[in-house]
Amino acid sequence: MKGNRFFVEVDAFLKKKEGQPVCGDCFVSRKVQNEHRIVATLSDGLGSGVKANVLATMTASMAVNFISRHEPIERTAKAIMRTLPIDSKRMMSYATFTIIDVRHDGETRVVEYGNPKCAVVRNGELFQPHRNEMELDTDKADKIMYSFEFKAQKEDRLVFFSDGVSQAGIGTNYNPFGWEEDQVHQYICDVIADNKYISAGQLAKKIVRQAVSKDILKPKDDTSCGVIYFREPRKLLICTGPPFHKRDDERLAGTINGFDGRKIVCGGTTAQILARELKREIEVGMMAKGGLPPTSKMDGVDLITEGILTLGGVASYLENNANTSVKGEGPAVDIVRMLFDSDEIHFMVGTKINEAHQDPNLPVELEIRRNVIKKIKRLLEDKFLKEVKLEFI
Amino acid sequence: MEKVDVKICYGTMCYVMGGSHLEMLKDHIPAEWADRVHISASPCLDLCHNTENGKAPFVSVNGKIVSEANIEKVISTIKVVIKDGLYQ
Repeated sequence: MKGNRFFVEVDAFLKKKEGQPVCGDCFVSRKVQNEHRIVATLSDGLGSGVKANVLATMTASMAVNFISRHEPIERTAKAIMRTLPIDSKRMMSYATFTIIDVRHDGETRVVEYGNPKCAVVRNGELFQPHRNEMELDTDKADKIMYSFEFKAQKEDRLVFFSDGVSQAGIGTNYNPFGWEEDQVHQYICDVIADNKYISAGQLAKKIVRQAVSKDILKPKDDTSCGVIYFREPRKLLICTGPPFHKRDDERLAGTINGFDGRKIVCGGTTAQILARELKREIEVGMMAKGGLPPTSKMDGVDLITEGILTLGGVASYLENNANTSVKGEGPAVDIVRMLFDSDEIHFMVGTKINEAHQDPNLPVELEIRRNVIKKIKRLLEDKFLKEVKLEFI
Repeated sequence: MEKVDVKICYGTMCYVMGGSHLEMLKDHIPAEWADRVHISASPCLDLCHNTENGKAPFVSVNGKIVSEANIEKVISTIKVVIKDGLYQ
């Protein structure tokens, strides 16, 4: 979040019930750009499969839309319940939800309806803010909605999950009553004690996998977990393209040298400018991977790749994948991996046009660098909630 | 004995124009020359801007520019260097 003293990392991991085509839980998160807020919702639809998925998706989408627009929570909940289609067999409509609204200053509001209690972990221990009860004027089985607020501090985590997690293993000899909320909360604290800086995505995945293992790897219900992690932003600088004026070469090298975070250089000429300005050697790899030119190495730079083809590969990966667990190999995938591991991404884009690339006989992949970077920026911001800064040089 | 210095350009232009095949060059060097040839790569030899240099892909053999380079062309240039002692 811009202008914030910490970064808010949001991620979730969902696993569908064994034998179902889709997951009946739904997680939606949105960054409200102009207010620097993040709204996230986890919803669990009645039953499982497609019907549950429809209920959960409607609930989560409506909740995020309403809350993003500052609608009161009671109004939001009532609107959702009135809208959900009625199950023809059970003659009822129902979906639980947990809504989280994080403001830029860390002020966080949580509303829970029907889902297990979420865990707030501070300094490795459970932190229990006071929960307010709200009775809903509805004919649904569960009428009570809980809400609480707290001011997040750096390294706080908010973990929320569906009942597939807390009821995992129900009926087995080891967990006749399921995993149970308190034990899940204890497990979360244990995992964080083992790995103090575990990312939101890794923690969510670990919790869901532990739950699934209690169901002997065949989940008896849709099992999902979302995590919000308030932490120090991880910074990444990507420099690509030679500066328009040669006099700015020194500035480019200075920016890379002085940057407090990880650094990638995309482009052969850019790498050579850097080597010349910083008086360092470039060691070029010989083996190409992923259909792209090989990567190079230089002291003080984490990754050096070819320019426009590799960036085109990055844009295409980001466009075609929604999951942050990266598969594959090659320079473009290496960049994507580093992008996903970063919160604040700074692009420094040289605007000098390589005339040799403007030959109409060349492949269309040789697009203008600025356009490709703008596309990557849009995808990182809208799809992966990253903070992206763009500077042309 | 000094080695023949072969430098492959892995810049965008060279790679797109067929330079990607040159990573196999090492496998095509005759065994008797193996100790006499040093193959490396450059992020960009900066040759494609000037049409006088010919067309990409480029390889430099002891400083001699091989344009529209392919494995056969590079090997024959290396042969000239080794047999005739040119471009030393």
